[in-house]
Amino acid sequence: MAQLAANQAQLECDGEVPGPASGVVGQSGIVDESRRERFERVAPGLVEPLRRYLARRTDADTAEDVLAETLLVCWRRIDDLPEEPLPWAYAVAANCLRNAERAARRQRRVAAKVAALEPRPVAAEPADDPDLAQALGRLRAEDAELLRLWAWEQLAPAEIATVLGISANAASIRLHRAREKLRTELRKTERVSGHEGSREGRTS
Amino acid sequence: MNDDELRQRMRTADPASALPPGDPAGVARLVEDVMSTELTTENRETGTHERSRLTWIVAAAAVVVIASAGILGVRALTGDDTTPPPVASEPASIELGVSGSAGSGKCMVPTAEALATADVAFDGTVTSMAGGEVVLEPTTWYAGGPAASVVLTAPSEQMQEVASAVSFEVGGRYLVSAVGGNVTLCGFSAPYSEELATLYGQAFG
Repeated sequence: MAQLAANQAQLECDGEVPGPASGVVGQSGIVDESRRERFERVAPGLVEPLRRYLARRTDADTAEDVLAETLLVCWRRIDDLPEEPLPWAYAVAANCLRNAERAARRQRRVAAKVAALEPRPVAAEPADDPDLAQALGRLRAEDAELLRLWAWEQLAPAEIATVLGISANAASIRLHRAREKLRTELRKTERVSGHEGSREGRTS
Repeated sequence: MNDDELRQRMRTADPASALPPGDPAGVARLVEDVMSTELTTENRETGTHERSRLTWIVAAAAVVVIASAGILGVRALTGDDTTPPPVASEPASIELGVSGSAGSGKCMVPTAEALATADVAFDGTVTSMAGGEVVLEPTTWYAGGPAASVVLTAPSEQMQEVASAVSFEVGGRYLVSAVGGNVTLCGFSAPYSEELATLYGQAFG
């Protein structure tokens, strides 16, 4: 399956990731050995963070497939891989994951027609902090993802910018706003669920 | 709550925190597998002579024939295998999915007689392979159809239940048939060949 998925990746999941046009790769990547050496040097360091990135966002089977696809894109586009390859690789993984989810959705539609397939489990959200999960859930998807990249992948705004394909400045501003929104939502959630730490201001 | 506290709170809820680190041998194997994967055009330009072949291993697959506009020929996968699905008008595409009941089929020598039971059979060219799908553009319909395209979908769940393999590549010409919701493999669906085309001709002639 990894083979199958990986091959598909060549066709499309690097579509939105910046880099020289793919034709350039052929001309510059003359020495196959140096490509191998670089990939062998870089790839092991990408695997673990990518595994985690995917584990946070999808089910185990999809994560495994998308990891293989992502690495394949990195291998094929090794000449485009920046010095700091991880944010770039996250961007590839995000594209591959979107494709996988599109395919899964399509498959679910088919499955619904014939009632032959179980739906895939949805991606895990923080389960042991329901207030946080709720608060994140109420944010716009883009804001929540920005915060995940910041807190879980521990990326700096410039790196987040690479993953999301926006400017570093925009990432910085959006991150700041997203944090504010999350704080606001957390306060609301905690007030409703009665988890608020300090209530001394209240009189009844 | 300051930024650090907020980040810390999110990190405590990191769903990957319980994920054990990958086994280094497994990582090394994965990296090696990736590098030995056949590449497409770019690599050919670098002088290696890789085929741009996507080897699609299609399970002995149940096929869901779906007319795109909801004019459906859906029936239970366990149902009668000989009546073709009722297709009210020409759909833009026919979608062939894979069901959970694939596998365990035994191969037999392709014969016109066996092939004649197919309710979907066509001669077509692979136009794209992307997003978990192989899209074929039929040029000749022997059975089923007509439709502008046929989409073959193979989700991961069924990939283990591989009974046979069809190697698809973009631009390649194939003879594909499906019986009662099952893609027929074992030589019934394969790259185009005169022999197989003759068989298709006999079966549906």
